[in-house]
Amino acid sequence: MVTDKFLLFLKYIILTIILLIMIFPLLWMFRISLMPTGNGIGLINIVSSQITFNNYLELFRTSNMGRFLFNSLLVGSIVTVGNILFCFMTAYSIARYKYIVNKLLFISVIIILMIPVHIIIIPMYILMVKAKLYDSYGALILPWLVNPIGIFLVKQYIESIPPSMEEAARIDGAGEFKILFKIVMPLCKPALAVLAIQVFFTNWNSFLFPFILTQSEQYRTLPVALALFQGHQAIDWQHLMAGSTIAVLPILLVFLIMQRQIVSGITAGGIKQ
Amino acid sequence: MKNIKTTALVLTLPWILTFAIFWLFPLVYSIVISFSNYQLLSKSFDWVGFDNYKSLLSDQDFIQALKNTFIFVAGTIPFTTIIALGLALLINKEFPGQGIFRSGYFLPSITSMVVIALIFTNLYQRGGYIAYLASLIGFTPPENGFLYNNRTALFSIMAMDVWMASGYYMLIFLSGLKAIPHELYEAAKISGAGPIRQFFHITLPLLKPVMLFILVINSIKSFQVFVEIFVMTKGKFETSTMVYYLYEKGLTTKFQIGYASAAAYVLFIIIAIFSIIQFLLFRKRQPLW
Repeated sequence: MVTDKFLLFLKYIILTIILLIMIFPLLWMFRISLMPTGNGIGLINIVSSQITFNNYLELFRTSNMGRFLFNSLLVGSIVTVGNILFCFMTAYSIARYKYIVNKLLFISVIIILMIPVHIIIIPMYILMVKAKLYDSYGALILPWLVNPIGIFLVKQYIESIPPSMEEAARIDGAGEFKILFKIVMPLCKPALAVLAIQVFFTNWNSFLFPFILTQSEQYRTLPVALALFQGHQAIDWQHLMAGSTIAVLPILLVFLIMQRQIVSGITAGGIKQ
Repeated sequence: MKNIKTTALVLTLPWILTFAIFWLFPLVYSIVISFSNYQLLSKSFDWVGFDNYKSLLSDQDFIQALKNTFIFVAGTIPFTTIIALGLALLINKEFPGQGIFRSGYFLPSITSMVVIALIFTNLYQRGGYIAYLASLIGFTPPENGFLYNNRTALFSIMAMDVWMASGYYMLIFLSGLKAIPHELYEAAKISGAGPIRQFFHITLPLLKPVMLFILVINSIKSFQVFVEIFVMTKGKFETSTMVYYLYEKGLTTKFQIGYASAAAYVLFIIIAIFSIIQFLLFRKRQPLW
């Protein structure tokens, strides 16, 4: 009995130490973002210096932080809505209409699913330059409006729904689009919520494509802005960490509110092989 | 029937267009262009056959990037997988506070890689926190910080990646552990098998499909490491990787599109071979352990 309690205690100690290691860098970031500028960020200062929110205010006043935040939100929202709609439409067609082209399309989904996306950075860059979309919202949005992982996820989900309701509606004379959006889509809400979160997170954090496909600050998203922020001679850690905190905060909030969907989304991807 | 075909076409049109324009075209384009010496700035264009592929083999920067990428993949994946499995086993059984630990461990995985890389640039710098920790345990940190040193830069980035990714793969392992029927452990207990034998004879073999999934997606991801290299070292101090190399060759200074496309295809083939090997390995030999 005593050893049981001791083991449980030991387990909690170990788990807590690991937890501290996992969240420490984020706390470190937040702490630096609250330090007054000019003090340097030596280890002693990090422990003892006072707390100020000035860095955040200055960041919005002196840089295009507001614009970067707006760009990230805009691009993230449009891409997310696009994926909910288009992944659902494609997935429904593949799942429900037994038609030869749909079989081929499913193969295309599987193939693209396995292709390492970074190998197409160069042709993507050229394509955007030639299409006059380089350095525009189009370059940030158009390629990502529908994605193979999303199609796959929603297709699996639709196939688990019995088609009897759709058939009944069809007999009542409902059109295909009405069945699709009025009957099936509401049933797919759990899968679409998972999809929305995954797409938004990926897009919010994405760096390489926004970085190579834009140039001006006007179209810069938060991660790109942060990565290019340190370009000057000495790194201004206080402001950089304040900007980083702003980039992490929305994700953190969504995560805390929707933990269950996020965890189930990742495990759904894990179980299906 | 004709009606259905039209509906199907309308519904799948966004994917057909995206697939054709943003996937198929770039893939075909870069294979074709990899047989030319196309340079965007000087506008030179000639077909050169396999020359690009041949010169890659004698390009020291390419070899270095290839080597670093392999070190990165081979040095992170075993640690990430073992730590992730360990974490999953630690918090598998329900207990008060399980959710807090699970979310906490997972937190780094949903944070932007740029932000993580920036934080660790600070932690790894000269006189930074990690140098302080190192000196506490009697290890002399590199003079200019961990990232400005040929010997430590790549390994420092790898350590960060292991730290960051473990929580994500832990979640996938957890889902695998949940799927193992409880009766198996009951039966093992009755026949007198201890926890260690249970682990090696029930848990590990039944986790095989999950393990395969983790190894494949983690290696596809790790072969493409770029962001942390760009943010932390700009490929200096022997940290250049394949994707960094093809970014540098293809999209900076000379814009050697043809040459970089050849490098991209070499990377593509390596990743494909790797995935297939892992797949076969796990499929053929029944009990791997």
